[in-house]
Amino acid sequence: MKVRLWREEKMIYVFGSLLIISFMKHKDILLNKKRNLVLFLILSVCGIALGVVRMIYPYVPSIAYILEKYLK
Amino acid sequence: MNKLITMRQVVFMYLFISLSPVLRQVPTALAKQAGRSGYLSPFWSLMVIVPLSAIILLLIRSYPGLNLYEIMVYMGGKIFAKTFIFLYIIWIIVFLSAKINAYSLTLQFTLMPKTRSDFFMLVILLLVYYALLRGSKTIFRFSELALGPIFLLIAIFLLCALSRLRTDYLLPVSTINLPSTIKASKDILAVGGNLILILFFSDKIGISLTKKQIRKFWLGSIVFVIFTFVITIFTFGITGANLTKNLPFPFYITVKSISFFNIFERFEVIVTIMCVLSDFITICIMFLILLRLIDWLFDIEERGFLFLPLGIIIYYLTYYISTTQFEYNFIYENLIVNVNLVFQYIIPMILGLLSLLKHKNVKKQF
Repeated sequence: MKVRLWREEKMIYVFGSLLIISFMKHKDILLNKKRNLVLFLILSVCGIALGVVRMIYPYVPSIAYILEKYLK
Repeated sequence: MNKLITMRQVVFMYLFISLSPVLRQVPTALAKQAGRSGYLSPFWSLMVIVPLSAIILLLIRSYPGLNLYEIMVYMGGKIFAKTFIFLYIIWIIVFLSAKINAYSLTLQFTLMPKTRSDFFMLVILLLVYYALLRGSKTIFRFSELALGPIFLLIAIFLLCALSRLRTDYLLPVSTINLPSTIKASKDILAVGGNLILILFFSDKIGISLTKKQIRKFWLGSIVFVIFTFVITIFTFGITGANLTKNLPFPFYITVKSISFFNIFERFEVIVTIMCVLSDFITICIMFLILLRLIDWLFDIEERGFLFLPLGIIIYYLTYYISTTQFEYNFIYENLIVNVNLVFQYIIPMILGLLSLLKHKNVKKQF
Protein backbone atom coordinates (compact mmCIF):
# COMPACT_ATOMS: atom_id res chain seq x y z
CA MET A 1 0.00 0.00 0.00
CA LYS A 2 1.31 3.42 -0.96
CA VAL A 3 1.54 5.72 2.05
CA ARG A 4 1.24 9.43 1.32
CA LEU A 5 3.22 11.46 3.79
CA TRP A 6 2.33 14.73 2.13
CA ARG A 7 -1.36 15.62 2.15
CA GLU A 8 -2.32 19.02 0.80
CA GLU A 9 -5.69 19.03 2.62
CA LYS A 10 -3.91 18.78 5.99
CA MET A 11 -2.02 22.02 5.33
CA ILE A 12 -4.81 23.98 6.99
CA TYR A 13 -3.72 22.58 10.36
CA VAL A 14 -0.10 23.51 9.69
CA PHE A 15 -1.14 27.03 8.72
CA GLY A 16 -3.40 27.28 11.76
CA SER A 17 -0.51 26.33 14.06
CA LEU A 18 1.82 28.74 12.28
CA LEU A 19 -0.71 31.55 12.74
CA ILE A 20 -0.81 30.87 16.48
CA ILE A 21 3.02 30.86 16.62
CA SER A 22 3.12 34.08 14.58
CA PHE A 23 0.58 35.67 16.92
CA MET A 24 2.70 34.72 19.94
CA LYS A 25 5.85 36.01 18.25
CA HIS A 26 4.35 39.39 17.31
CA LYS A 27 2.20 39.63 20.44
CA ASP A 28 3.55 43.02 21.47
CA ILE A 29 3.06 44.64 18.07
CA LEU A 30 -0.42 43.16 17.67
CA LEU A 31 -1.71 43.99 21.12
CA ASN A 32 -0.20 47.47 21.27
CA LYS A 33 -2.17 48.72 18.29
CA LYS A 34 -5.78 47.74 17.69
CA ARG A 35 -5.36 48.31 13.97
CA ASN A 36 -2.57 45.74 13.71
CA LEU A 37 -4.63 43.13 15.56
CA VAL A 38 -7.74 43.73 13.45
CA LEU A 39 -5.72 43.52 10.23
CA PHE A 40 -3.98 40.33 11.34
CA LEU A 41 -7.28 38.73 12.35
CA ILE A 42 -9.11 39.72 9.15
CA LEU A 43 -6.32 38.41 6.90
CA SER A 44 -5.95 35.21 8.97
CA VAL A 45 -9.71 34.54 8.86
CA CYS A 46 -9.74 35.12 5.08
CA GLY A 47 -6.83 32.70 4.58
CA ILE A 48 -8.30 30.04 6.86
CA ALA A 49 -11.74 30.42 5.23
CA LEU A 50 -10.21 29.83 1.78
CA GLY A 51 -8.44 26.77 3.20
CA VAL A 52 -11.60 25.39 4.82
CA VAL A 53 -13.56 25.75 1.57
CA ARG A 54 -10.74 23.99 -0.25
CA MET A 55 -10.71 21.20 2.35
CA ILE A 56 -14.50 20.66 2.23
CA TYR A 57 -14.84 20.98 -1.57
CA PRO A 58 -11.45 20.00 -3.05
CA TYR A 59 -12.89 20.00 -6.57
CA VAL A 60 -14.48 23.42 -6.43
CA PRO A 61 -14.24 24.88 -9.98
CA SER A 62 -11.50 27.45 -10.47
CA ILE A 63 -12.05 31.02 -11.69
CA ALA A 64 -10.40 30.04 -14.99
CA TYR A 65 -12.86 27.16 -15.43
CA ILE A 66 -15.87 29.42 -14.71
CA LEU A 67 -14.58 32.14 -17.05
CA GLU A 68 -13.90 29.61 -19.78
CA LYS A 69 -17.45 28.32 -19.44
CA TYR A 70 -18.98 31.77 -19.84
CA LEU A 71 -16.61 33.31 -22.38
CA LYS A 72 -16.59 30.42 -24.84
CA MET B 1 17.87 60.75 3.34
CA ASN B 2 17.99 56.99 3.48
CA LYS B 3 19.01 56.16 -0.08
CA LEU B 4 18.35 52.47 -0.30
CA ILE B 5 18.36 51.43 -3.92
CA THR B 6 19.91 52.70 -7.14
CA MET B 7 18.28 53.23 -10.53
CA ARG B 8 20.57 50.51 -11.91
CA GLN B 9 19.20 48.01 -9.37
CA VAL B 10 15.60 48.93 -10.16
CA VAL B 11 16.16 48.63 -13.93
CA PHE B 12 17.94 45.28 -13.48
CA MET B 13 15.07 44.10 -11.30
CA TYR B 14 12.62 45.08 -14.08
CA LEU B 15 14.58 43.12 -16.68
CA PHE B 16 15.00 40.17 -14.33
CA ILE B 17 11.30 39.84 -13.56
CA SER B 18 10.50 40.17 -17.27
CA LEU B 19 12.69 37.14 -18.07
CA SER B 20 10.27 34.34 -17.22
CA PRO B 21 7.16 35.72 -19.00
CA VAL B 22 9.26 36.55 -22.08
CA LEU B 23 10.69 33.03 -22.20
CA ARG B 24 7.44 31.29 -21.26
CA GLN B 25 4.28 33.13 -22.28
CA VAL B 26 5.18 35.78 -24.88
CA PRO B 27 6.26 33.49 -27.79
CA THR B 28 3.13 31.32 -27.39
CA ALA B 29 0.83 34.35 -27.24
CA LEU B 30 2.47 36.00 -30.26
CA ALA B 31 2.33 32.80 -32.31
CA LYS B 32 -1.36 32.36 -31.45
CA GLN B 33 -2.34 35.88 -32.42
CA ALA B 34 0.00 36.83 -35.25
CA GLY B 35 1.36 33.53 -36.57
CA ARG B 36 4.82 33.60 -38.11
CA SER B 37 4.85 37.42 -38.23
CA GLY B 38 4.54 37.61 -34.43
CA TYR B 39 8.21 38.49 -34.01
CA LEU B 40 7.45 41.96 -35.38
CA SER B 41 5.15 42.77 -32.45
CA PRO B 42 7.95 43.92 -30.07
CA PHE B 43 8.52 46.94 -32.34
CA TRP B 44 4.88 47.98 -32.03
CA SER B 45 5.05 47.61 -28.27
CA LEU B 46 7.90 50.14 -28.27
CA MET B 47 5.34 52.78 -29.32
CA VAL B 48 3.53 52.31 -25.99
CA ILE B 49 6.47 51.47 -23.74
CA VAL B 50 8.26 54.73 -24.70
CA PRO B 51 5.31 56.97 -23.64
CA LEU B 52 4.93 54.91 -20.45
CA SER B 53 8.62 55.42 -19.65
CA ALA B 54 8.17 59.16 -20.32
CA ILE B 55 5.16 59.28 -17.95
CA ILE B 56 7.11 57.48 -15.20
CA LEU B 57 10.03 59.88 -15.61
CA LEU B 58 7.63 62.84 -15.59
CA LEU B 59 6.08 61.63 -12.33
CA ILE B 60 9.45 60.97 -10.69
CA ARG B 61 10.77 64.38 -11.81
CA SER B 62 7.61 66.30 -10.86
CA TYR B 63 7.39 64.65 -7.46
CA PRO B 64 11.00 64.00 -6.45
CA GLY B 65 11.57 61.71 -3.50
CA LEU B 66 7.94 60.62 -3.35
CA ASN B 67 6.46 57.17 -3.93
CA LEU B 68 3.29 56.27 -5.85
CA TYR B 69 1.03 56.69 -2.81
CA GLU B 70 2.43 60.10 -1.89
CA ILE B 71 2.14 61.22 -5.53
CA MET B 72 -1.52 60.14 -5.56
CA VAL B 73 -2.17 61.94 -2.27
CA TYR B 74 -0.73 65.19 -3.70
CA MET B 75 -2.80 64.79 -6.84
CA GLY B 76 -6.22 63.85 -5.58
CA GLY B 77 -6.23 63.56 -1.84
CA LYS B 78 -6.18 60.64 0.56
CA ILE B 79 -9.48 59.02 -0.48
CA PHE B 80 -8.45 59.09 -4.15
CA ALA B 81 -5.06 57.59 -3.29
CA LYS B 82 -6.41 54.92 -0.97
CA THR B 83 -9.02 53.79 -3.52
CA PHE B 84 -6.30 53.20 -6.10
CA ILE B 85 -4.05 51.57 -3.49
CA PHE B 86 -6.87 49.16 -2.60
CA LEU B 87 -7.30 48.27 -6.29
CA TYR B 88 -3.55 47.76 -6.61
CA ILE B 89 -3.64 45.40 -3.59
CA ILE B 90 -6.25 43.22 -5.30
CA TRP B 91 -4.23 43.25 -8.53
CA ILE B 92 -1.00 42.28 -6.75
CA ILE B 93 -2.73 39.43 -4.87
CA VAL B 94 -4.19 38.02 -8.11
CA PHE B 95 -0.86 38.57 -9.92
CA LEU B 96 1.05 36.80 -7.13
CA SER B 97 -1.30 33.82 -7.11
CA ALA B 98 -1.03 33.49 -10.89
CA LYS B 99 2.76 33.81 -10.72
CA ILE B 100 3.09 31.08 -8.09
CA ASN B 101 0.84 28.91 -10.24
CA ALA B 102 3.00 29.55 -13.31
CA TYR B 103 6.15 28.76 -11.34
CA SER B 104 4.84 25.40 -10.06
CA LEU B 105 3.47 24.48 -13.49
CA THR B 106 6.87 25.27 -15.05
CA LEU B 107 8.63 22.94 -12.64
CA GLN B 108 6.04 20.23 -13.22
CA PHE B 109 6.28 20.59 -17.00
CA THR B 110 10.07 20.58 -17.13
CA LEU B 111 11.88 18.86 -14.28
CA MET B 112 9.55 17.20 -11.77
CA PRO B 113 6.29 16.00 -13.38
CA LYS B 114 5.42 13.67 -10.48
CA THR B 115 5.77 16.22 -7.70
CA ARG B 116 2.61 17.90 -6.47
CA SER B 117 2.25 21.62 -7.06
CA ASP B 118 1.58 22.43 -3.40
CA PHE B 119 5.09 21.27 -2.54
CA PHE B 120 6.59 23.80 -4.99
CA MET B 121 4.33 26.53 -3.63
CA LEU B 122 5.33 25.91 -0.03
CA VAL B 123 9.03 25.83 -0.92
CA ILE B 124 8.84 29.13 -2.81
CA LEU B 125 6.85 30.78 0.00
CA LEU B 126 9.47 29.67 2.52
CA LEU B 127 12.29 30.99 0.31
CA VAL B 128 10.46 34.28 -0.21
CA TYR B 129 9.96 34.62 3.55
CA TYR B 130 13.67 34.04 4.09
CA ALA B 131 14.59 36.57 1.37
CA LEU B 132 12.22 39.17 2.84
CA LEU B 133 13.80 38.69 6.25
CA ARG B 134 17.11 39.72 4.67
CA GLY B 135 15.56 42.93 3.37
CA SER B 136 14.66 44.49 0.04
CA LYS B 137 18.25 45.48 -0.74
CA THR B 138 19.25 41.78 -0.91
CA ILE B 139 16.54 41.05 -3.47
CA PHE B 140 17.56 44.00 -5.66
CA ARG B 141 21.23 43.07 -5.37
CA PHE B 142 20.51 39.48 -6.31
CA SER B 143 18.80 40.54 -9.53
CA GLU B 144 21.65 42.98 -10.23
CA LEU B 145 24.24 40.23 -9.87
CA ALA B 146 22.35 37.42 -11.59
CA LEU B 147 21.09 39.27 -14.67
CA GLY B 148 24.49 39.64 -16.35
CA PRO B 149 25.40 35.91 -16.26
CA ILE B 150 21.87 34.98 -17.37
CA PHE B 151 22.03 37.29 -20.39
CA LEU B 152 25.47 35.88 -21.20
CA LEU B 153 24.15 32.31 -21.08
CA ILE B 154 21.20 33.21 -23.30
CA ALA B 155 23.63 34.87 -25.74
CA ILE B 156 25.70 31.63 -25.84
CA PHE B 157 22.54 29.57 -26.46
CA LEU B 158 21.48 31.84 -29.26
CA LEU B 159 24.95 31.76 -30.79
CA CYS B 160 24.83 27.95 -30.77
CA ALA B 161 21.33 28.02 -32.22
CA LEU B 162 22.22 30.36 -35.09
CA SER B 163 22.85 27.49 -37.52
CA ARG B 164 19.43 25.97 -36.75
CA LEU B 165 17.50 29.12 -37.57
CA ARG B 166 15.15 28.46 -40.50
CA THR B 167 14.23 31.47 -42.62
CA ASP B 168 11.19 29.68 -44.08
CA TYR B 169 9.69 29.70 -40.56
CA LEU B 170 10.08 33.49 -40.41
CA LEU B 171 9.47 34.69 -43.96
CA PRO B 172 7.54 35.82 -45.95
CA VAL B 173 5.77 38.49 -43.95
CA SER B 174 3.48 40.93 -45.73
CA THR B 175 1.50 44.05 -44.85
CA ILE B 176 -1.61 41.87 -44.40
CA ASN B 177 -0.02 40.57 -41.19
CA LEU B 178 0.50 44.04 -39.70
CA PRO B 179 -2.90 44.38 -37.94
CA SER B 180 -2.46 41.03 -36.21
CA THR B 181 1.08 41.95 -35.09
CA ILE B 182 -0.25 45.21 -33.63
CA LYS B 183 -2.97 43.32 -31.76
CA ALA B 184 -0.49 40.73 -30.52
CA SER B 185 1.80 43.42 -29.06
CA LYS B 186 -0.71 43.59 -26.18
CA ASP B 187 0.93 40.48 -24.71
CA ILE B 188 4.35 42.15 -24.71
CA LEU B 189 2.88 45.31 -23.18
CA ALA B 190 1.42 43.27 -20.32
CA VAL B 191 4.97 42.23 -19.42
CA GLY B 192 6.78 45.44 -20.33
CA GLY B 193 4.36 47.43 -18.23
CA ASN B 194 6.13 46.12 -15.12
CA LEU B 195 8.16 49.29 -15.55
CA ILE B 196 5.61 51.04 -13.34
CA LEU B 197 6.83 48.97 -10.38
CA ILE B 198 9.62 51.56 -10.24
CA LEU B 199 7.05 54.08 -8.96
CA PHE B 200 6.48 51.94 -5.85
CA PHE B 201 10.15 52.35 -4.97
CA SER B 202 10.67 55.87 -6.34
CA ASP B 203 11.07 57.31 -2.82
CA LYS B 204 14.12 55.11 -2.36
CA ILE B 205 15.92 56.12 -5.55
CA GLY B 206 16.80 59.70 -4.67
CA ILE B 207 15.53 63.24 -4.87
CA SER B 208 16.97 64.35 -8.18
CA LEU B 209 17.50 62.15 -11.19
CA THR B 210 20.85 62.49 -12.90
CA LYS B 211 21.30 62.19 -16.66
CA LYS B 212 23.05 58.87 -16.10
CA GLN B 213 20.07 57.51 -14.17
CA ILE B 214 17.65 58.64 -16.88
CA ARG B 215 19.84 57.00 -19.54
CA LYS B 216 19.80 53.73 -17.56
CA PHE B 217 16.04 53.88 -17.30
CA TRP B 218 15.59 54.33 -21.06
CA LEU B 219 18.18 51.65 -21.74
CA GLY B 220 16.20 49.22 -19.55
CA SER B 221 13.03 49.65 -21.58
CA ILE B 222 14.89 49.35 -24.89
CA VAL B 223 16.79 46.25 -23.75
CA PHE B 224 13.44 44.68 -22.80
CA VAL B 225 12.05 45.20 -26.32
CA ILE B 226 15.24 43.92 -28.01
CA PHE B 227 15.33 40.89 -25.69
CA THR B 228 11.70 40.05 -26.48
CA PHE B 229 12.39 40.39 -30.21
CA VAL B 230 15.47 38.14 -30.08
CA ILE B 231 13.77 35.42 -28.00
CA THR B 232 10.70 35.43 -30.26
CA ILE B 233 12.70 35.32 -33.48
CA PHE B 234 14.78 32.38 -32.24
CA THR B 235 11.77 30.48 -30.90
CA PHE B 236 9.84 30.98 -34.15
CA GLY B 237 12.90 30.37 -36.32
CA ILE B 238 13.78 27.05 -34.68
CA THR B 239 10.49 25.63 -33.41
CA GLY B 240 8.15 27.29 -35.91
CA ALA B 241 5.11 29.45 -35.14
CA ASN B 242 2.67 26.56 -35.66
CA LEU B 243 4.27 24.43 -32.96
CA THR B 244 5.04 27.41 -30.70
CA LYS B 245 1.38 28.37 -30.39
CA ASN B 246 0.54 24.95 -28.92
CA LEU B 247 3.40 24.76 -26.42
CA PRO B 248 3.22 26.00 -22.81
CA PHE B 249 6.98 26.71 -22.70
CA PRO B 250 8.27 27.02 -26.29
CA PHE B 251 11.71 28.43 -25.49
CA TYR B 252 12.41 25.33 -23.39
CA ILE B 253 11.65 23.11 -26.40
CA THR B 254 13.76 25.39 -28.61
CA VAL B 255 16.79 25.10 -26.32
CA LYS B 256 16.33 21.31 -26.20
CA SER B 257 17.42 21.13 -29.84
CA ILE B 258 20.56 23.21 -29.28
CA SER B 259 23.99 21.66 -28.85
CA PHE B 260 27.38 23.31 -28.37
CA PHE B 261 29.48 22.04 -31.30
CA ASN B 262 27.80 18.62 -30.77
CA ILE B 263 29.74 18.27 -27.50
CA PHE B 264 27.45 19.74 -24.84
CA GLU B 265 23.70 19.27 -24.94
CA ARG B 266 20.58 19.49 -22.76
CA PHE B 267 20.78 23.15 -21.83
CA GLU B 268 17.03 23.25 -21.17
CA VAL B 269 17.58 22.69 -17.44
CA ILE B 270 19.41 26.02 -17.33
CA VAL B 271 16.38 27.70 -18.95
CA THR B 272 14.15 26.24 -16.24
CA ILE B 273 16.50 27.54 -13.54
CA MET B 274 16.49 30.99 -15.14
CA CYS B 275 12.69 31.02 -15.11
CA VAL B 276 12.53 29.79 -11.52
CA LEU B 277 14.98 32.49 -10.39
CA SER B 278 13.03 35.13 -12.27
CA ASP B 279 9.76 33.91 -10.72
CA PHE B 280 11.37 33.91 -7.29
CA ILE B 281 12.48 37.53 -7.65
CA THR B 282 9.07 38.51 -9.05
CA ILE B 283 7.30 36.94 -6.07
CA CYS B 284 9.70 38.64 -3.64
CA ILE B 285 9.23 42.04 -5.29
CA MET B 286 5.46 41.64 -5.45
CA PHE B 287 5.37 40.67 -1.77
CA LEU B 288 7.45 43.74 -0.93
CA ILE B 289 5.04 45.92 -2.91
CA LEU B 290 2.02 44.23 -1.32
CA LEU B 291 3.37 44.89 2.17
CA ARG B 292 4.10 48.51 1.24
CA LEU B 293 0.60 48.93 -0.20
CA ILE B 294 -1.00 47.56 2.98
CA ASP B 295 1.25 49.87 4.98
CA TRP B 296 0.05 52.87 2.93
CA LEU B 297 -3.60 51.83 3.10
CA PHE B 298 -3.77 51.21 6.84
CA ASP B 299 -0.91 53.41 8.09
CA ILE B 300 0.78 50.62 9.98
CA GLU B 301 4.36 50.82 11.20
CA GLU B 302 5.32 47.13 11.47
CA ARG B 303 4.77 44.78 8.55
CA GLY B 304 6.42 41.51 9.61
CA PHE B 305 3.26 39.98 11.06
CA LEU B 306 1.44 40.32 7.72
CA PHE B 307 3.53 37.83 5.77
CA LEU B 308 1.98 34.62 7.11
CA PRO B 309 -1.72 35.54 6.69
CA LEU B 310 -0.99 36.95 3.23
CA GLY B 311 1.01 33.83 2.35
CA ILE B 312 -1.94 31.62 3.35
CA ILE B 313 -4.38 33.70 1.26
CA ILE B 314 -2.09 33.56 -1.78
CA TYR B 315 -1.37 29.84 -1.33
CA TYR B 316 -5.07 28.92 -1.40
CA LEU B 317 -5.94 31.50 -4.04
CA THR B 318 -3.64 29.76 -6.53
CA TYR B 319 -6.03 26.78 -6.47
CA TYR B 320 -9.05 29.04 -6.98
CA ILE B 321 -7.45 30.83 -9.92
CA SER B 322 -6.40 27.84 -12.00
CA THR B 323 -5.43 24.24 -11.43
CA THR B 324 -4.11 22.99 -14.77
CA GLN B 325 -1.80 24.34 -17.48
CA PHE B 326 -4.76 24.81 -19.87
CA GLU B 327 -6.71 26.77 -17.29
CA TYR B 328 -3.65 28.90 -16.51
CA ASN B 329 -3.10 29.67 -20.21
CA PHE B 330 -6.75 30.64 -20.57
CA ILE B 331 -6.81 32.94 -17.55
CA TYR B 332 -3.46 34.49 -18.50
CA GLU B 333 -4.59 35.33 -22.03
CA ASN B 334 -8.10 36.49 -21.15
CA LEU B 335 -7.84 38.04 -17.72
CA ILE B 336 -4.31 38.67 -16.48
CA VAL B 337 -3.07 40.38 -19.66
CA ASN B 338 -6.05 42.78 -19.75
CA VAL B 339 -5.97 43.51 -16.02
CA ASN B 340 -2.22 44.16 -16.26
CA LEU B 341 -2.84 46.71 -19.02
CA VAL B 342 -5.27 48.62 -16.79
CA PHE B 343 -2.92 48.78 -13.81
CA GLN B 344 0.27 49.25 -15.77
CA TYR B 345 -0.86 51.76 -18.40
CA ILE B 346 -4.28 53.30 -17.80
CA ILE B 347 -3.80 54.30 -14.14
CA PRO B 348 -0.26 55.72 -14.70
CA MET B 349 -1.61 57.57 -17.75
CA ILE B 350 -4.35 59.16 -15.61
CA LEU B 351 -1.69 60.15 -13.07
CA GLY B 352 0.54 61.56 -15.82
CA LEU B 353 -2.34 63.65 -17.17
CA LEU B 354 -3.18 64.93 -13.69
CA SER B 355 0.47 65.78 -13.14
CA LEU B 356 0.56 67.79 -16.37
CA LEU B 357 -2.63 69.63 -15.39
CA LYS B 358 -1.46 70.47 -11.90
CA HIS B 359 2.14 71.50 -12.71
CA LYS B 360 2.98 71.05 -9.10
CA ASN B 361 6.54 70.38 -8.10
CA VAL B 362 6.95 69.05 -4.64
CA LYS B 363 10.25 68.58 -2.90
CA LYS B 364 10.09 66.21 0.01
CA GLN B 365 11.90 67.47 3.09
CA PHE B 366 14.44 65.08 4.42
